[in-house]
Amino acid sequence: MADKGTAASLVTGNALAGDNYLNHTKGLRSWLFTLDHKRIGVMYLVSILASFLLGGIFALLMRTSLLSPTKHIVSADTYNQMFTLHGAIMIFLFIIPGIPAALGNIVLPLMLGAKDVAFPRLNLASYYCWVAGAIFSLLSIVLGAVDTGWTFYTPYSTTTNTSVVAMTFGALILGFSSIFTGLNFIVTIHKLRPKGMGWFRMPLFVWGLYGTAIIQVLATPVLGITLLLLIVERTLGVGIFDPALGGDPVLYQHFFWFYSHPAVYIMILPAMGVISETVSVFSRKHIFGYKAIAFSSIAIAAISFLVWGHHMFVSGQSNLAGMIFSFLTFLVAIPSAIKVFNWVATMYKGAIRLDTPMLYVMSFLFLFGIGGLTGLFLGSLAVDVHLHDTYFVVAHFHYVMFGGTVIAFLGGLHYWWPKFTGRMYDEAWGRIAAVLVFVGFNATFFSQFVMGSKGMPRRYYNYLPEYQIYHQISTIGSFVMGIGFIIIAVYLIRSLIAGKPAPANPWGGATLEWQTTSPPPHDNFALSPEAGDPYDLEAFRWDAAVGGYVKKSDAAVAVG
Amino acid sequence: MAILDDPDRTAPVPLATGRLGMRLLLASLGMLFAACVSGLLYVRSIAKVWPPEGMPSLPTGLWMSTVILLVSSATVQWAVSAARHDERPGIRHGLLATFVLGVAFLVSQTVNWFVLVAAAFTPKVNLYAFTYYLLTGLHALHVLGGLVPVGVVTARAFRGDYSAARHSGVEYVAMYWHFLDVVWVVLFIVLYLAG
Repeated sequence: MADKGTAASLVTGNALAGDNYLNHTKGLRSWLFTLDHKRIGVMYLVSILASFLLGGIFALLMRTSLLSPTKHIVSADTYNQMFTLHGAIMIFLFIIPGIPAALGNIVLPLMLGAKDVAFPRLNLASYYCWVAGAIFSLLSIVLGAVDTGWTFYTPYSTTTNTSVVAMTFGALILGFSSIFTGLNFIVTIHKLRPKGMGWFRMPLFVWGLYGTAIIQVLATPVLGITLLLLIVERTLGVGIFDPALGGDPVLYQHFFWFYSHPAVYIMILPAMGVISETVSVFSRKHIFGYKAIAFSSIAIAAISFLVWGHHMFVSGQSNLAGMIFSFLTFLVAIPSAIKVFNWVATMYKGAIRLDTPMLYVMSFLFLFGIGGLTGLFLGSLAVDVHLHDTYFVVAHFHYVMFGGTVIAFLGGLHYWWPKFTGRMYDEAWGRIAAVLVFVGFNATFFSQFVMGSKGMPRRYYNYLPEYQIYHQISTIGSFVMGIGFIIIAVYLIRSLIAGKPAPANPWGGATLEWQTTSPPPHDNFALSPEAGDPYDLEAFRWDAAVGGYVKKSDAAVAVG
Repeated sequence: MAILDDPDRTAPVPLATGRLGMRLLLASLGMLFAACVSGLLYVRSIAKVWPPEGMPSLPTGLWMSTVILLVSSATVQWAVSAARHDERPGIRHGLLATFVLGVAFLVSQTVNWFVLVAAAFTPKVNLYAFTYYLLTGLHALHVLGGLVPVGVVTARAFRGDYSAARHSGVEYVAMYWHFLDVVWVVLFIVLYLAG
């Protein structure tokens, strides 16, 4: 059996029958205490997907409740708790760890041709911090679900009788998880690059993770101290956000957004990295403007620290501060636009293949484009005064976070799925679901742009009947998306049992993770690979016998 | 025991790798303290009178704490350079002195707190008092947390585990300790000298 497996893997690069990281050791303990980045990544993946499901259920319940302007399926208080939980779960438990900690963990060392990350034990500690943080956050549901919104603004968060302490303490621990992952990735990228991989030979996903990690390490502690001060203020009744003592609630907002705006780039930078990988592979064309994309990642990370004030245009900061933050907000659009330009230029005259990951790339370009451009509306001071706290804002950040990050996450998940599971999913269903998600998403959130610009405030439980049609379109759209996600879940789970064994390189990618078996062995590579140009797709050709791509030079040797 | 039984992945990392990791950790902690100090300066900037009237002056014992911590930075550096030159007694004495001085610093800080509490200066009085306790308390917690690895490294030094070739633990501990020292000097200036 083992011999057969080895023989098969020599031909196709599939290692399901032989030794691989999934069957290298057995038993629950071998997973719970693993130091293997791939297993930690898979545990992260399962955990964040469970969170996504939970957050999604809250979203669907809210949307269902909003079908009618006055009749509801949940009480007003429950509604407040639901949008808080939806936001907090999606942000802290799903999107922030989503691409870096799950996909990044699985892929980063493989892309570097390394055996693991620099600090494998810290990596496992990061996962358990996530688990502990998740437990505390979710405990708050039992103790009295928080109703402040995911931003926990004072003074309401210090006076409401819901369990703000449990939720924020959970978020504090999640912060440690995020810092550990970021620190680990920076050191890994600095120290574990293989022979031949200078900084400008790194895959762009690695650049994305690098920019993300810088933000994780430098911004997260500020959230930590903010939440700690909030907890102290709630428990001791004294704190710097309390105006009665000479403090200032707006200071909370400054602190909170000093982390939480860069956190938006923790979400989007790795997503942009996924797009850079996939757009090139599925256009069968070298990435256009490599250095521009790489530097723009770092530029975005740097500027992201300077734009937090744009969340507070109507919070009473000075006009001068507002103008500066508005200017800096426009500035951050430039590196983002540079990336979009380069992705589109990569597709230009490429041999585009509309496989599932590529459908997500195209969704991303369209949705992120809208999300980014509407950010400019909100970055303009005067326009923001009209649009602030309306559904326009809700639609904008969903276009960026969902249309950007989640769509890219799905693209990356499908792209690397064959690599880390060793199985192909059903391509036809993949495409159907990608289209359903795209259509459902636009129905859900484009209608929110319209109603927001007409003045529908966010977070309202009851609303005027004139907005009902938009709410109904939005809710129907969310159901379509829900169906899309159910389909995705079904065919992905089915592929684990009945999927066609995946070759080493099903898409013809030139980055190093495609040069080991699917799934990879415990130590990733038999021999440390040497890195070349990560986008030299010309070096690979389709081989029908293998059912995947092979290196042209290797094939020549085999024939010879 | 099968737990974490993966020799390649549990082997000590090269010193340069560990030092980079440590630098990032310190950068992260630096942001934590920077945020706290910014918060203090903000609260102070919007206050009409600072310190508020009737507040007792901060204890001169803070000078004592400062001297203790500065000396401990020197002793930990003494241990590092002894380790680099393979002078075993120097490693032991330098680390032991650092540990003792770390404890002495915490004792000194606690005395300073008691002096203030005795003068009815508790965290609940006003933000002047609150920020004082917050910043000194947060720093003291980091010193306390630092004493654990310093203690471990000291014990290992007495067991003779360190040599010029293998002493990365001493290097990491020293980096962290110098960081605590720098943070304290900043806090001392902000709270006491400029207070």
